[in-house]
Order: sequence, then structure tokens, then C-alpha cells
Amino acid sequence: MQIICVSRGTFAGGKKLAEALAAKLGSDCLSREEITDAATGAGIPVGKLEMNMLRRRPMSEQLAIDKERYKAFVTATLCERALKNNLVYHGRTGHLVLPGVTHVLRVRAIMDPEQRMQAAMQRLRLDREKAHKYIAEVDEDRRRWVRSLYNTDWHDPGSYDIVINLSHVNVENAATGLLSMAQLPEFQATPATLQTVSDLWLAARCRLAIGADQRTGDIDVKIRSDRGQISVTYLPRDASRAGLIPEVLSKIEGIGEVMCTMASTNVLWVQEQFNPEGESLDQILQVAGRWNAAVELVQLKEESDHAPARAEAEADTPSPAPAETGGILDDSVIERDSNLDQGMRKTRERLISAGRAGGYRLLTGGPQELLSNIDRTIAYNLVVVGDLCVTKGAAVSKRRTQEMVSFLSDSLRMPVIEAAEMKSQFMFGPAQLIKMLFLAAVTVVLLLLVMTNQETVLGFINQGTCFFTGCEEAGTSHRILSAVAVAVFVPVFAFCYGGFTRFLFRLLRFG
Amino acid sequence: MPEFLMGNYFVQIDLAIIGQVVLLGFIGGTLSGFIGSGGAFFMTPGMMNIGVPGPVAVASNITHKFGKAMIGSREHGKMGHVDKKLAAFMLITAALGINLAVWVMKMMFEGSGGEGGEHGAGADLYISLVFSIVLAFVSISMIKDMIRSRKSADNKPSRKIVDFLGRLNLHPMINLPVADVKVSLWVILVCGLATGYLAGTIGVGGFIGVPAMIYVFGISSQVAAGTELYLAMFMGAYGALNFALQGMVDLRLTLLLYLGSLIGIHLGVYGTKVVREVFIRLVTALIIIICVVSRVIAIPVYLRKLGYVDFPAEMDTYFNTGSKALLYISGIGGMIMILFFVFKAYLQRRRVHASLVATRGKAAA
Repeated sequence: MQIICVSRGTFAGGKKLAEALAAKLGSDCLSREEITDAATGAGIPVGKLEMNMLRRRPMSEQLAIDKERYKAFVTATLCERALKNNLVYHGRTGHLVLPGVTHVLRVRAIMDPEQRMQAAMQRLRLDREKAHKYIAEVDEDRRRWVRSLYNTDWHDPGSYDIVINLSHVNVENAATGLLSMAQLPEFQATPATLQTVSDLWLAARCRLAIGADQRTGDIDVKIRSDRGQISVTYLPRDASRAGLIPEVLSKIEGIGEVMCTMASTNVLWVQEQFNPEGESLDQILQVAGRWNAAVELVQLKEESDHAPARAEAEADTPSPAPAETGGILDDSVIERDSNLDQGMRKTRERLISAGRAGGYRLLTGGPQELLSNIDRTIAYNLVVVGDLCVTKGAAVSKRRTQEMVSFLSDSLRMPVIEAAEMKSQFMFGPAQLIKMLFLAAVTVVLLLLVMTNQETVLGFINQGTCFFTGCEEAGTSHRILSAVAVAVFVPVFAFCYGGFTRFLFRLLRFG
Repeated sequence: MPEFLMGNYFVQIDLAIIGQVVLLGFIGGTLSGFIGSGGAFFMTPGMMNIGVPGPVAVASNITHKFGKAMIGSREHGKMGHVDKKLAAFMLITAALGINLAVWVMKMMFEGSGGEGGEHGAGADLYISLVFSIVLAFVSISMIKDMIRSRKSADNKPSRKIVDFLGRLNLHPMINLPVADVKVSLWVILVCGLATGYLAGTIGVGGFIGVPAMIYVFGISSQVAAGTELYLAMFMGAYGALNFALQGMVDLRLTLLLYLGSLIGIHLGVYGTKVVREVFIRLVTALIIIICVVSRVIAIPVYLRKLGYVDFPAEMDTYFNTGSKALLYISGIGGMIMILFFVFKAYLQRRRVHASLVATRGKAAA
């Protein structure tokens, strides 16, 4: 089973390339336009979604749900076709529609701006300036669309296996070259990648079924599948209707167990070795409970040490793609994860029994590999990085962990901390109690200072101004001094009292 | 009416006033955390109803906003929701806007007592009018959108005017990497000026700044909220310095507002996580429109003080009481609704322990 996805811009020759590839491969050629028409026919308002983005409008709740339904429709259609036959797909998000399927050949077709402009002028009968403007606008719309759907930069070459310039290579030769590339071992299906495709298909069908049912159509859910075991996360506001989800999904062919977890947000926990008895797990469970979050585990191992293990894992089945989420699992489900080490398995069990499990991944590599596997559309409230490279000694481990924190902080728009910082940042212990009391004391002292010396304070602030006193000469230096005093005093008070309230709410396990 | 200190412009603080100001801060903080911007729309008129002169109420509130925004923008910064480049460009004209607002306010305050009118009534009238007009526009737009979206089964806001503005391609265009958009410098500067002017006049800048960033610039609501807070930190600092130079800041009121608001904010933010977006907009619109009516009711008092209308001074009490009652109804009503959902969700979180498990067979059965 061969899958080639061509990502294209307008008048960049991507469609012709995809058609030539499909002809040479003897496969189906599917375009984004065909899928969009089918999605519209199925009741998904794709036109409205596009218009919303073109006009830079914020997503309403319903449109955000429609967006997820559209993504599920695209995934379901592609997976269904890909499981039957070889497939060439061309569209603006071709490289993103099958996440985690490693044997997809992801191609970006580009062309020199001048040639694109000439093509637009001929085809649309536009003058040069209008053609230039047209291409720029369409490219911008497409960039925005990709950002909105997958939170990724469309132009990032790192998202593709190959970028081909059709101004330099003609379509036939490009197709021949790409076909040779597609024969490489990296782009051949394995049992693991086929399983990933099946899981994506099943999860997408589940998403569509929930969206199509009147009773559950407006529930905001995230769905993952791990060999037929379906995990659904939903928001607290939909708790009353969550019981309908298993019923709706029961009609879908190929489904096993359904687990539903209520989660407002997600915590991503990256570490090399998980310790189920460790302090970090207790702390993360506490935070997850407070935030109503699901915890997603990523076991990250260094490539050099674990390359053989990766191959073994791929052949054995569980994919690196998102696995299960949440809920209570029975023994048979836990036994499936025999490729997980003891620590990871026990950690998952504890998360599951606490109703906080948010899935797991096994990754091999460094920061870049981790980054490319993080789903940018999930709103993680926190990323926790535990010890990495532990076998290389404490100093190396500390350095690598800190480097990872810095890298992720720079790359992601979300808070990233070391596991060791959990206590000081989110827990409430004796040290935090002392800080809270200290801040409370400073707040009280500052407040009393002002309230017991009201006239002095107001006199100091007002003296030298003509605003209230009607004096003839303003004392400029005093005015500046009093203004600076206000500008310094107020933030100090806000900092102290704000710190006190933060600790107080942490103590109350609120929010 | 409360007693005054220092030339009858700083209210004498007693326990009742302390309680009222802390409560105003708490309600304002809860609304601010829930709605995402403002809170001043409640606190400024609330203080005026207690008897604080308008300019002092605005000055104390903008000073309070400065410290609050500093803490809030730090939290948003950690999430990557602050576009510092956009904030820097907006700040250029926002500072001008604040200066202009302070100057106009000073003129109003000084000029209003000269022709037989009571000192300060002109500034109070001016603040009340700007407040009523701007917030009436905002709340009516929100309600219209909700009615329209119910008819069209789609709850996204109507943005005909801003769509037009968004398509303006006036060079130079500024690339904003965090917000991920390109916007004309001129549009940014105009929005900055309006935001600064309103922040300086009524202490409410977010109601213009956040929608402008979302609908005119096309950036996400999280980045808009984070950037507005970052901007508010500088505008607040600048406004506070300006007002402090004029001797208008009542430090006691600022501190008392903090006591309530920093608690309320935590609860309001929690509320946004457990309540539907359409409900948030409905509550916001209702609260604002009642606040507007409350301020409109107080306007005849200022008109009488300025000699534009004539009625017995004893009737001021009725207008002030009516105004105060409506303000508290809107604020307390909104706060109760928000807190109801917050505590319901808080308790539910402990009861519902996350997991529903059903095998296919069970579900089918």
C-alpha cells in the first residue's frame, strides 16, 4: 500500500504532478476539492469554515466543532481509500492529514513566482498586477487555513519529505523521480503503519458518528483509537450527555471498548524512564486533578541507544501515534502493552485508576523528533520534562533536560517546566506556606501604613499639584517624586497580594 | 454623602466605604476574569456612586489596573500569548490617547466650576457620557449579534465594518510574528489611539483593544487578551504616572480595589473554563447594559449641578440611589451567576471522577 500526499499552492503544478504520479503508480488520485464536495454533501459547512477564516473571524464553538468534523471526514476518506489501494492525494494540507503514518511520502510542489504568475494571467485572463495580487492572496488564505486546522506553518520545509520545484524539473520527470523515491524502504507500509491507518480511520469514523447524531452533535470531543479501543475526552460542560457517547459509537463496525474521560485540558509529561512510585507522578496527579486535566505520557529515548528497540516496536505493532486516553482499563487492555517497560506500564495504570490517563507515545530521538510528534492543535496547559539521558550520568542528564526545556519553551506557546520544579511551581507545602504568610504579612503592613496615615499619604501625593489645592506654583520635583512613589508602591503591593492570593488558591486546590 | 479630606476631593474612609470598595473590586475582578477584559466599567461608576469624584475614581482605577495587568500579562507571557511587537506599535498612539484624555479631563474638571456649576460636575458628566455611549454601543452590538446568530443558527459575531477595515491594505504593513498576521501600521496606530483615549477617560481600554485586535487585526482571542494585558500594563503605568503627577490618585482606593479584585479574578477565570461561550457573551452584554442604564440615570444630577436643568437638589438622592441600585444589581447579579457556575463545577469535579467505561456489548444493551 503506497500513499503519496502532494501539498500544492495555486498554479504551482501540484495537481498535474499528482495526476502523473497516480497514472504511473496505477493508483487512485484524490483531490481536496473532491473531498470538500463530499464533506459539504455530508452536511459539514466547509464553505462557511473557509469564509470564516478568509474574513479573519474568530471561531465560534459550533464552527470549531465543524472544523474537527471536517478534519475527521478528510482522514476517514483518505484512510478508507488507502486501505484498499495505492493512493495519491493532492491538496493544501496533504502532508498533515495522516499524522503518525510514517510511510506516507509527503511532497511539496512549488514553482517559480514568475511562472505561476504567467499561468494565472493566461488561465484567469488577468493583467500582471492582478495576477500577482491573486496568487499572493490565495497563498495567504491557504497559509491561514493550514495554521487554523493544524497549527503548523505551511511553508515549513521540515514538514515534507521532499520539496520539488516544477520550474526546474518537468512534471513527468518529477513523477518518475518521486516514484523511485516512493520505493525506498522508509515509504513502505509495515504492520505498524497499517495499524496506525486503521486506528486513524476508526477514530475519524467515531468522530463523524458523534457529530452526525442530533443528541451529541454539539459535544466537543477528542477521539483516539488503539487497535479498536476507543478513547474519548470531553469537556466538563458536556458531562450530562457523555453517557450517550458509547451508545452512539456502538453502531460502528470494528469498535472494541469505549472509554470516556472528562478533561478540560491536557498535561504533557516527557521523560526517559517513568517511576510509578516517584514524587513527580504524585505531583502531576495532584495538578491534573486540580485542573481537571488528562496526562499524556511521552517516553523519549536517545536514538543511538535504542535504534534496534524502535524497529522491534514497529514490527510488534503499537504505533507511535496517539494511543488511548483516559478511563479505567481492564486487565486485558493493560496486557496489550507488553512492549512498555515496567515503569511506564505502572505509571499508566496509576493514571488510569485516577481517571487522568491521556494516552502515551514511545519516541526515539531528540528535541526535533519530540517537537514534530507533538499535536499543535491540542491546548496543553503544561509540559513537564522529567530526567532525560539518565544512563549518561547525573550531569549530562541535568544538562539535556534543561536544554530540552529551553528548546520546547522557545518552540511552543505553552508553559514548559522541569519535573523538579513542580513542587515549587504548583504544590503547596511548608515552603509555600511560609511564602504565603510572608506575603500576607507584607500586604497587611503596607495596607496598614497607608490606612493609618491617610492624610499624610494623600498630602504627599497631592502636595505640589494645583489640581485640588488651586495653588499658584506646582512643585515639579515633588510631583515627580510622588508619581514615582505611586508607580513603585502599587506594583509592589500588587505583587505581594497577588502572590498571597495565588498561594491561597493553590492551597484550596482551586482552578 | 461621605465626608471628604483634602479640599473635599478624597473621601473619608470608614468601614462601610472599605467594604463597598473591596466588594466593587471583587465584583470587578470576577467580571474581569470571566469576561476577559474590563471590570473598570463596573468599578469606576461604582466608586462614583459612593461619592468619589469621577477623575479620582478613574485615576485610582487605572492605577489599580496597572498592577493587575502586570501580573496577568506575566501569566499570558508564559503561554506565548503576548505579541510584544504589536503592543509596542499600539503603545505609541495609546500614550498619546491617554495624554489627550488626561488633558481633556483636567480641562473639564477645572472649567466646570466656573459658571455657577459645582466643581467637578463637568468632568463627571463627561465621563458618564463617554461611558454610556461607548458601552451602549458595545452591549447593543453584542445583543444584536446574539439575536442574529440565533436566527442563522450560527453564533459567530457579525463584523461588517471591521471586515471592511480588515481588507484595507494601507502600507506600510507590519508583520506580527506571534499573532501570525500582517496589519497596516495606520490601522494599528488608530486602534492604539482609541484604546489609550478610552483607558484614560473611563479606565476601559480592553473593550476596544481586544475586539480591535480580534476583528480588525484578525488575531486569536488568546493572543488578543494577552497582548491587551501587556499593553494595559504600560498604559496603566503611563496613565497612573500622569494622573499621579496631577495628584488625582487615591492610593487607599487602589489598594482596597486590589483586596477584592485579585481574589475575584481567580474565580472569574475558572468560570470561563466551565461555562459555554454564548452564556459568557450573554452575561457580559446584560451586565454592561445595566451599568449603562445606571450611569444614564445619574446624568441629570450632573446636568443640574452645571445649571443645564432645574429640579430640587433633594431629588439627587433618588437619582443617585436608583443609579447605585442598578449598578449593584448588574454587578452582584452577574457575580452570583458566575459564582454559581464556578462552585457548581468545583463540587462536580470532586464528585464526577472522570471515567465512563462501556464495552460495545454493554453500550448496545
